Amino acid sequence: MNPSPWLLPALPVLPAVTGGLLLLLGRAARRAPAGVAAGVPAGVAVTAAVLTLALAVHAAVTRPATPVRLLPGTGSSGTGSSGTGSSGTGLTGDGLLANGLVVDGLSAVMVVMVAAVGLCVLVFAAGELRTARFHGLMLLFVGAMLLTVTAGDLVLLLMGWEVMGAVSYALIGYWWHDPARVRSGAVAFLTTRAADLGLYFAAGAALAGAGSWAGGAPAPDGPAGLPAPWRDLVAGGLVVAALGKSAQLPFSFWLSRAMAGPSPVSALLHSAAMVAAGAYLLLRVQPLLAATGWAADLVAWAGALTALLLGAVALAQRELKQLLAASTCAQLGFMVAAAGVAAVAGGAAQLVAHAAVKSLLFLAAGAWLSALGTETLRRLGGAGRRYPVVGLAFGVGAVALAGVPPLSLWVTKDTILGAVREPGLYAVLFAAGLLAAAYSAKALAAVWRPGPGRADARELTPWERAPLPVLALAAAGFGAVGLPGAFEAWGRLVGDPHAAAPSWGGLLLSGAAALTVSALTVSALTMSAATILVRTPAPVTPLPVGAAGAFLREWMGLERMAVVLVARPVLALAGALARFDDRVLDAAVTAAARAVRTLARTAAGLDDRGIDAGVEAVPRAGLAAARIVRAPFETGLDGLVRAVAAAAGRLGTLARRPQTGQVHLYFAQAAVALTLLAVAFALLR
Amino acid sequence: MNPLALLPELLILAGAVAGLLAGLYAARERQRVTAWINAAALAGAAATAAATAATALSPGTFEGYVVDAATNVTRLTVTLSTLLALCLMAGRARGHARESELYTLTSLAALGTIVMAGAGDLLVLVAAYLLASIPAYALAGFAKDAPGTEAALKYYLMGAFLGVLMLAGVTLAYGHSGATAYSGARAPAVAAVLLLAGPLFKAGAAPAHFWVPDVAEGASRPVAAFVTTVPKIGAFVAAYRLASEVFDEPALLAVLAAATMTLGNLAAFHQPNVRRLLAYSTISQAGYLLVPVAVAGRTDLAAPALLFYLAAYAVTNLGAFAVVVATGTDTLADYAGLARRSPWTAFALVVCLLGLVGTPPTAVFAGKLLMFAAAWDAGYAWLAVLAAANTVASLFYYLRWIRPVFVQEGSGRRAPATIPLLAATASLALGIVALLTLLP
Repeated sequence: MNPSPWLLPALPVLPAVTGGLLLLLGRAARRAPAGVAAGVPAGVAVTAAVLTLALAVHAAVTRPATPVRLLPGTGSSGTGSSGTGSSGTGLTGDGLLANGLVVDGLSAVMVVMVAAVGLCVLVFAAGELRTARFHGLMLLFVGAMLLTVTAGDLVLLLMGWEVMGAVSYALIGYWWHDPARVRSGAVAFLTTRAADLGLYFAAGAALAGAGSWAGGAPAPDGPAGLPAPWRDLVAGGLVVAALGKSAQLPFSFWLSRAMAGPSPVSALLHSAAMVAAGAYLLLRVQPLLAATGWAADLVAWAGALTALLLGAVALAQRELKQLLAASTCAQLGFMVAAAGVAAVAGGAAQLVAHAAVKSLLFLAAGAWLSALGTETLRRLGGAGRRYPVVGLAFGVGAVALAGVPPLSLWVTKDTILGAVREPGLYAVLFAAGLLAAAYSAKALAAVWRPGPGRADARELTPWERAPLPVLALAAAGFGAVGLPGAFEAWGRLVGDPHAAAPSWGGLLLSGAAALTVSALTVSALTMSAATILVRTPAPVTPLPVGAAGAFLREWMGLERMAVVLVARPVLALAGALARFDDRVLDAAVTAAARAVRTLARTAAGLDDRGIDAGVEAVPRAGLAAARIVRAPFETGLDGLVRAVAAAAGRLGTLARRPQTGQVHLYFAQAAVALTLLAVAFALLR
Repeated sequence: MNPLALLPELLILAGAVAGLLAGLYAARERQRVTAWINAAALAGAAATAAATAATALSPGTFEGYVVDAATNVTRLTVTLSTLLALCLMAGRARGHARESELYTLTSLAALGTIVMAGAGDLLVLVAAYLLASIPAYALAGFAKDAPGTEAALKYYLMGAFLGVLMLAGVTLAYGHSGATAYSGARAPAVAAVLLLAGPLFKAGAAPAHFWVPDVAEGASRPVAAFVTTVPKIGAFVAAYRLASEVFDEPALLAVLAAATMTLGNLAAFHQPNVRRLLAYSTISQAGYLLVPVAVAGRTDLAAPALLFYLAAYAVTNLGAFAVVVATGTDTLADYAGLARRSPWTAFALVVCLLGLVGTPPTAVFAGKLLMFAAAWDAGYAWLAVLAAANTVASLFYYLRWIRPVFVQEGSGRRAPATIPLLAATASLALGIVALLTLLP
């Protein structure tokens, strides 16, 4: 079952270490001749990504487990294979805090997806960004993400989660000369970081809960088996952390800020990796959510509302990357809702399909941004025709995102909708699906609209073109897993054996609706389909107009809300506490110190007088000793030290006095000393 | 009686004689071969000593000579330290008219030191004292320059005077007990003081320490390194044997230890000449080394403490002198900016000086730890406290040397780092190994 135990740790370690080395050695490499060294970081990164993908495929096939014991006395056998459920708190069923690395079905899907998308993005980036810093950070990120999805317990998960967050900050602020971008990185980082506290909270609650019930009967079904208050606390913490990482309401705004980073960063972080980690976590702990009773509903509604509202936000955007970011939030809403309605298989399918689609769209957007220098929808006219490979790939991705048959998201979205039992929730998610069709069509129309050719546009390198068809193929074809027949096997793979395939009726209904909405949107945006054919540029009218449009375009004022409701009160509280510290605590300490000093001075004065009196009593030694002792005590400790040093120095001079350099004096001294010793010890006898 | 047990001593003697004979016939520019002969003999002696220690080959007593663990450790320490000193000398003496004599004298002094440590009879001790001293006098004046001649004369006169006192002590002890073998001889207090005069002279301890600064300053630097380090080893082991077998005067030795360490430290305080500074430092180290001698026979820790401290001190002190040899200057001010010019030499200097203070993880730290433990264990807590206070005080003058190395800009030549680094590494390694063995 576990043929080569080192291969699994190698999976996160290989990219992380390679990335770390690139970061460390990158500066040295930059000093090398440009022609030689320019391609080296990218080459190293792509090679490492290929190896990582091979390791990931191997891990997915062999499903190894490597126990790693980080905390003493927790967990059980440490074998850590999935589903054995012996002591019942682990993410996969074993000890919550001592499982090590595990690749089960869901993890297998995730590692292959992360490694594959990572490879595509790094190949793309090799044509555009060539610094060792970029590639090193990306590899580090891939390693952290792989650790996150193979973590079998909360401690390892926290490690991966933390590194991922920190590297995302560095990547979003990659162009650090621009303060606005760095600030965006900080906003994104701080927002996810604030939500991450939930994960710490959950880990603490799990540890406390597991500790308080040590020796009791092992629970049958993982973390869901914790006793009542701890189970709810763990679930609450995990939900907050996952919603934050997946940019769900109310945290969504950080994803808008995250667009300040390079496009390849978005193509990895905001499709397959960082945001997906939140959805993955919720899918992973779905039994826990269900066991609490409230968490599942909360998650389902949070996801559904995000899908609906951020869909509207996406529709209102004027920048391509902002549109894609909002749509990422919306699509992740489906996965989060899937975790809420126990559609683990559907959620996982949606996650993988969306990763391929969104990675493709971000790469295409990045290609245009670097080639044309713009990502404003209004100015992207003609982009699709100017770069047909990119345009076609983008078209496939956008059509898939719209949920148009027969492409992937059409099927995977319906696998989730099919599991929803509550009519209200179903209605919200269905409407969100229609919005997806609308904003996808808007993006598609914007890039395929005829537009002026740009003279300064550069050609794309083969590196930049190569990954796009691959991702387009996945985006188009991955829906096959959701078809009846295949879906049962998929469900067994990701650990959701009761998954039901979507009904043909539902598929037809949503497909037809998506097609209709897309067609309506395109025609509404371009007046008539004929204008595309006769190549007359037509202005793109943003659909929602007026105040509502502006509100949506600004991501519903979420960031301002967060600043007003959270950041400012926290800062005000911190300021108040700092003042309390300064004026009350510090003042007390200072006063105490002053009192001690006064006391010390008094004592020194007494001492002074006492010693003086003593010195006066010895007339011969008096003058010399008083000179040494009195003055220093007046100036305090410093003087005391100096007095000791001076006395020692004087003694030192004295000690060298016998060293006259004259042999007869040496003889005399040695003879006298030995005689004195002999006499003294002979008489003592 | 197995004559093989004396193989290390015989090897050194053979090396010295062969070196002298080879030197007589070798051309001046080929005298270097005598260094190799002596070094090979010393290395062979070290190897056979190690083998003797490892296989416990006939541990026992010749008439008047003891081959036990203490002798074996002394053999190893002395031969290896002498090898290090030979490396220092060979670097400076190439092409000297009397190059071969330098190495032969060094080997003979080392031999005398070992025999002093192994002596089990007062008469052997006297002979060994002479064998250890006379080549050292010649070494001190080897350069035939004014400071060297003066140093040699002072060294010789002090040695002769204190040697005579020691002989008087032997006479008294023989008259008192009718035996000169340690096992039979008993010395009353006066005889004990007189007997100690010789070892105290070799060890550079008060009140027989006067020669140390003068010789350290006047002799050539490698010779100073040798004579302030190697003869001490035998002297302390001899004193230890005397104190545990021939007389029982712990208070006398404790007073001597206290006086020596305090005097050495105080005199080193404002010393601007690094050789004199190191000389006073070796005097204070001799004070610490007298502590386990004082508690000899009162605690099991005394012998390990003494032997380990000796080894640690020898390598560390030679390392510090090696830096002085490498830099070629005696003035404290000339060490300004050494860290910039020769970082590795500066590193070795810092390791050796902090080692002499007794900073973990250097070897002297472990030695001091053992020494404190021995004093405490034997009921001489006041001596341990005094030694600790002296250790703290000694930090002052070692830091006075270290500070300019780092903080000031200075001009001077670069100093080769090989031998200092070797000694510093040995000091560190010895300390780490000792701590790893001591700690559990």
